[in-house]
Amino acid sequence: MLPYLLVSGLTTGSLYALVAMGLVVVYKATTVVNFAHGELFMVGGFLAYTFHVLLKLGYVVSLVLAVAAALVLGLVTERLAYRPLMRAPAISVVLAAVGFSFVLKGAARQIWGGLGDYIPFPPLVATPAITMGGLIIVPQQLVVLAGALVCMGIFTVFFTSTRAGKMMQATAENAKAARLVGIRVERVYAFTWGVGAATGAAAAVLMAPLTFVYPDVGSPLLVKAFAAAVLGGFGSLPGAVLGGFSIGLIENLAGGYINTSFTDISAFLVIMLVLIVRPTGFFGPRAVRRI
Amino acid sequence: MRTLRIVLMIVVALLVASPAPPAAAQGVTADEIKIGALGALTGPGYLYGRLIMNGAEVVYNEVNKAGGVNGRKIVLVREDDRCDAASAIAAAKKLIFQHQVFMLHGGGCSNASIAARPEIEKANIPWVVFASVADEVTLPTAPYIFSTALAASIESAAQLEFALQRGAKKVAVISMRDAWGRARYNPLMETFKRKGVTPVADEEMSPDANDATPQVLRLRQANPDAVMIVLYPKAAAVYMRDAAKLGFKPLQIGQSALGDLLAFRDQVAIPNALERFYTISHVRYTPDDPEMERWRGLLEKYFPGDRMSVYNIMGIASANVVVEVLKRAGRDLTRDRVRDELNKLKDFNTNIYPGVITCTPTDHQCHKTPAFMQLTGDKVKTVGVTTVTR
Amino acid sequence: MPALAGRRNVFALAGLALLVLPALANPYILYVANIALIYVILAVGLNLLLGYAGQFAFANAALFGIGAYATGLFQVRLGLPFWIAFPAAVLFTTLIGLLVALPALRLSGLYLALVTLAFAQLTQWLMLNWERVTFGAGGFKVPPLTFGWVPPALGLYYLSLLLAGLLVAGAWNTVRSGIGRALVAVRDSEVAAEALAIDLARYKAIAFSLSALYAGVAGGLYSAILSFVAPEGFDLFQMVVQFSMVVVGGLGSVWGSVLGAGLLVGLQEALRAFKGGQEIAFGLVLMACIVFLPDGIISLVKRRARGWEEPLRAPDRRA
Repeated sequence: MLPYLLVSGLTTGSLYALVAMGLVVVYKATTVVNFAHGELFMVGGFLAYTFHVLLKLGYVVSLVLAVAAALVLGLVTERLAYRPLMRAPAISVVLAAVGFSFVLKGAARQIWGGLGDYIPFPPLVATPAITMGGLIIVPQQLVVLAGALVCMGIFTVFFTSTRAGKMMQATAENAKAARLVGIRVERVYAFTWGVGAATGAAAAVLMAPLTFVYPDVGSPLLVKAFAAAVLGGFGSLPGAVLGGFSIGLIENLAGGYINTSFTDISAFLVIMLVLIVRPTGFFGPRAVRRI
Repeated sequence: MRTLRIVLMIVVALLVASPAPPAAAQGVTADEIKIGALGALTGPGYLYGRLIMNGAEVVYNEVNKAGGVNGRKIVLVREDDRCDAASAIAAAKKLIFQHQVFMLHGGGCSNASIAARPEIEKANIPWVVFASVADEVTLPTAPYIFSTALAASIESAAQLEFALQRGAKKVAVISMRDAWGRARYNPLMETFKRKGVTPVADEEMSPDANDATPQVLRLRQANPDAVMIVLYPKAAAVYMRDAAKLGFKPLQIGQSALGDLLAFRDQVAIPNALERFYTISHVRYTPDDPEMERWRGLLEKYFPGDRMSVYNIMGIASANVVVEVLKRAGRDLTRDRVRDELNKLKDFNTNIYPGVITCTPTDHQCHKTPAFMQLTGDKVKTVGVTTVTR
Repeated sequence: MPALAGRRNVFALAGLALLVLPALANPYILYVANIALIYVILAVGLNLLLGYAGQFAFANAALFGIGAYATGLFQVRLGLPFWIAFPAAVLFTTLIGLLVALPALRLSGLYLALVTLAFAQLTQWLMLNWERVTFGAGGFKVPPLTFGWVPPALGLYYLSLLLAGLLVAGAWNTVRSGIGRALVAVRDSEVAAEALAIDLARYKAIAFSLSALYAGVAGGLYSAILSFVAPEGFDLFQMVVQFSMVVVGGLGSVWGSVLGAGLLVGLQEALRAFKGGQEIAFGLVLMACIVFLPDGIISLVKRRARGWEEPLRAPDRRA
């Protein structure tokens, strides 16, 4: 039983990791949690479905179009829910993003809700399950796992080695100082939200064969992704990935060995324990109090 | 001080007065009958609200085009219960006291319907339930509340009996822990007890779960001959997918939430995964059946962009019952006459439900005939229709 | 000279209107007004925690649920009458709120949000799984509340009105007292507060317990008005609605929360006309309120009318 649970823990965890990365990217530059991310993810999935299945465009074309559309949607989110509220308390930004998520979810339900309950999405490769040494894996799960790792790799390189990435980190650390050295802070913010949403859409397309496409797919994933990101310290992309894997593993092991009623709550119980012992998560910075 | 005394007098006066009850022919004019549709329009429960209402509205539109019922057109007024007790009570009150509808046709999420029931009962307004499955919605029998939905206890009993008839000795269960799931799980456990059988495994899955490996592994350990599936389509599809993946192939028995076998096959997406899968359907047909062609065209005409689903078909079937009862109640339309016609409804064939609709004054559960279906190749076949009395 | 549109006059008028409402309204409107009063209690309590003490905690919807469940279960499982079950439930909820305060002592910001979110998920899980006590996902019916010869809907309405009035007055007094000032100090700068010898632990505990007390009262009334308790009404969506009431009304303003609660309940009912488009409409209105009135509706009122001053209201703007 253990090997199966470990594998499924990692594959489920990669779902959470992929969604969490979109959250962390936005946080890294703006120190704000984008609570509309679940719905940006969901809309990305529906757009890809519309392009690929309804309009019969190719898989890659649909992926690119969906990601591009999500990027635009991310820019819109930033303009509506973040820029006007830069000086407002954190809760206002959270609620504005949540409001936008209602708009997106309602719109998706009105536009696509009559198509069916949980809409299937064709996988990237339609091969049957792969058997590796007694363990069976559905190929799309490998695609998602690979996607999560590749995404993490790209972002890590981006943040540490490219100028744009360093500008984003600088903006997050001290927006005023960033402005002083000539960084176009507004552009950085807009770009970040766009990239976060685009990541969400890409994640949705990779995951859609496994999760199906429906208006409410984003919310439960957002909650787990948020938990994964916080566990990982919420500023760290590898942390988010590890957080995602941890939650996936905890869920599967608790479900397999203790009781399947515990699957959903086990991760949160562990989180409560972790945060009591290490208040800033596994990989978070030591708590620094700004005076 | 004087103001205070005046205010207190007003308050006392209000406490003594009470509002007048609504008139018996409320919601009916010379050319209109107002029917209130109560169900979820927003939120995940919209499948059992809006989509079913869409199906019902297709029927009402067609009836109106043909001249209406005894010269009156049907106007459907929808209100959102948001799958939540407080909103359901608000929606019911709004329909009854503000829109002043003649009767109600609705009821999706069970908890919402259960919460709204006392309010609806007090108003003596006829209510035909189209989707809520929990027994508490229609039990204890209320004079004006009838159901065309297959009750949870009927389906759960049918599921277990089907498995036992097919020779299963060891039976396991996988269920969801929400209100819908428990409404089916509890009667299922009672049926187990009545038959003297104990489930060999009892696993749980979350409605949005993306992986069922722990569940399948634990079920497999118990080595059952049959598994009772009390899950919504997403969880069920994920379960069947992982079962196929792990080579777990007992008899798999579903229920009416999984009634559209072709859609389910597309969701599971693994060839031959449904070989040993049987499910109950609430209605005789799936959207792709030729018999549904006319309705499909009408639905896609009235609701452009939608694709016909089994939820729409449930609405169509239920609305056929409502229209028939309204016709029989005649031109002199009152709520009591509708109640009487419902009580007298015997062997009414909608040609969409697997069996006939029969209500009696003591049994307002009018739909008692689950049909078992199986997918062979590309064809959905009915494998049997049973009648279960609660 | 009291201002014509000042707070005292407006609320006196509103109070009078609420008192005579049952004579003018159909049962639907009466029900909505009663629900609004329950949410006023919830919002004012949450504001003490969020707006005054600055604690971004997701536990309030769960505490609301615990208040409802406790009131119902004490009646159904223990056979206690409502008038004993209700205060007992409020006490129970307040104690749980105190427990939730414990992690707040070590955590802040995102981590406090996550831990209280975990608490909320745990409460939902218990409501669903601990069937022997809570009846599980199907919920349970509560014996309808009677008031002797007074029609039940009317009696419950006036009870809610009375409790809402008392609790709002209580909150108003609290924020104008030393406790209020201490909470604001904790919100604005914990380090500075400690330097002023304000016991952080004590005041955080007070903030959490007070909001839990309000949530418990609101929960008990909620169980009575529905005569039914089930897990659905106490989830994350409910938490978002409560946060919205506080922020749209005006963070850190008692009267803002009263306005916010009334307006948002009214809005949810008014938006029914949009049928399936309700989610979109509600989201748009929420965004518009927050973006165009970042200090809440109360800021609009304060700009236009005199007599609405409040002490130490404004929470810290981010730099």
